[in-house]
Amino acid sequence: MTSEQILAEIREANLSYLMLAQSLIRTDMDQALYRLGVSEENAALIGALSPAQMMKIAHSNTLLCRFRMDDDVVWNLLASHGRGAANDGMGRLHASILLAGRHAEAA
Amino acid sequence: MARNKSILTEARQIERAVTLIHLGARLQVLESETDLSYERLLRLYKEVAGKSPSKGQLPFSTDWFMTWQPNIHASLFLNIHEYLNKSSALDEIDAVIKAYQLYLEQIGTQGLEPLLSVTRAWRLVKFVDNGMLTMTECSKCGGHFVTHPHEIARHFVCGLCNPPARAGKGRLAGSLQFGPALLSQPAALQAHAAH
Repeated sequence: MTSEQILAEIREANLSYLMLAQSLIRTDMDQALYRLGVSEENAALIGALSPAQMMKIAHSNTLLCRFRMDDDVVWNLLASHGRGAANDGMGRLHASILLAGRHAEAA
Repeated sequence: MARNKSILTEARQIERAVTLIHLGARLQVLESETDLSYERLLRLYKEVAGKSPSKGQLPFSTDWFMTWQPNIHASLFLNIHEYLNKSSALDEIDAVIKAYQLYLEQIGTQGLEPLLSVTRAWRLVKFVDNGMLTMTECSKCGGHFVTHPHEIARHFVCGLCNPPARAGKGRLAGSLQFGPALLSQPAALQAHAAH
C-alpha cells in the first residue's frame, strides 16, 4: 500500500466507525455504551457530531477506535491458541464473559 | 399509583410489557414489573403472542444456575447486566430487557441456543438483589461468574477454566453447539421443560 492508500483507508475506517457509532448511540444509548465500550460523555459527543464534523475528525493518519482485547487471556481464548477447533465455541463464550465483565474501560 | 394514573406512564408500561412478551416472558414477570391489571395483561399477551400464556409456577430454584452450562449463560447475561447498570442509570426492568437482548445477540452470533429464558434472567437479577446468588471472580481467568454467596474467592475456579469431569471431552465439544448434541444434555432438557 502506498501512503496515500493508507491514509484513504484510515479515513474510510474512521468514517465508517463514526457513522456506525452514531447510529448505535441514537438507536439505544445504553446498549451502545456496551457495544462500543466508551464512556457516556464520549458517546454523547459522538452522538452530537454533524456530518461535516465527522468528515473532519475522520481525516487523520491515525485510527479513532482502539483494540479492546488488550490482554493475553482474552486474546488466547479468541485466537484458540493451543485448543482444538472443537473447543472454539467455548473459548469465544469465555472471552465474551470476560469482556462483558470489563466495565472499568467505560467508566 | 392507581389513584394517580398517568396515560404516559401507562403507555410506557404497555410498551415494556410488549417487549417482554416478545422476548418470551411469563405472565408473572409482567405482573410484577408493571402496574397493569391481570386482565389487561392477559389480553395484551394474547394479542401480542397470539396464544395464551403458559401456566404454572415460575422456576424458583437457584440450583439451576449452578449447573455447568446454565451457569455459563447466566454469567454472560449477568456480566452484561452489570455493565449496563454501571455505565448508565436504567430502571431495573429496562436493564434486564436490554441486557437480555444483548445476551441473545451474543449467543446468536456464536451459533448457540439461548439456554437462559428472559424469565430466568429476571429471576437471576432478583436472586442477586436478595443476596441468594452473587458473582465471584475466577482465580484463574479473572472473569466473574454466578455463584452462591460466600464462595471462597481465593480458591474459586470457574466452569470454563475447569469444566466438570462429567462434561467429558467429546460431549463438551458438542454441548456448546447447536443440534442434537444439545438435547442430549440434561441441563438443556431442564431448560426446555421450564419454558
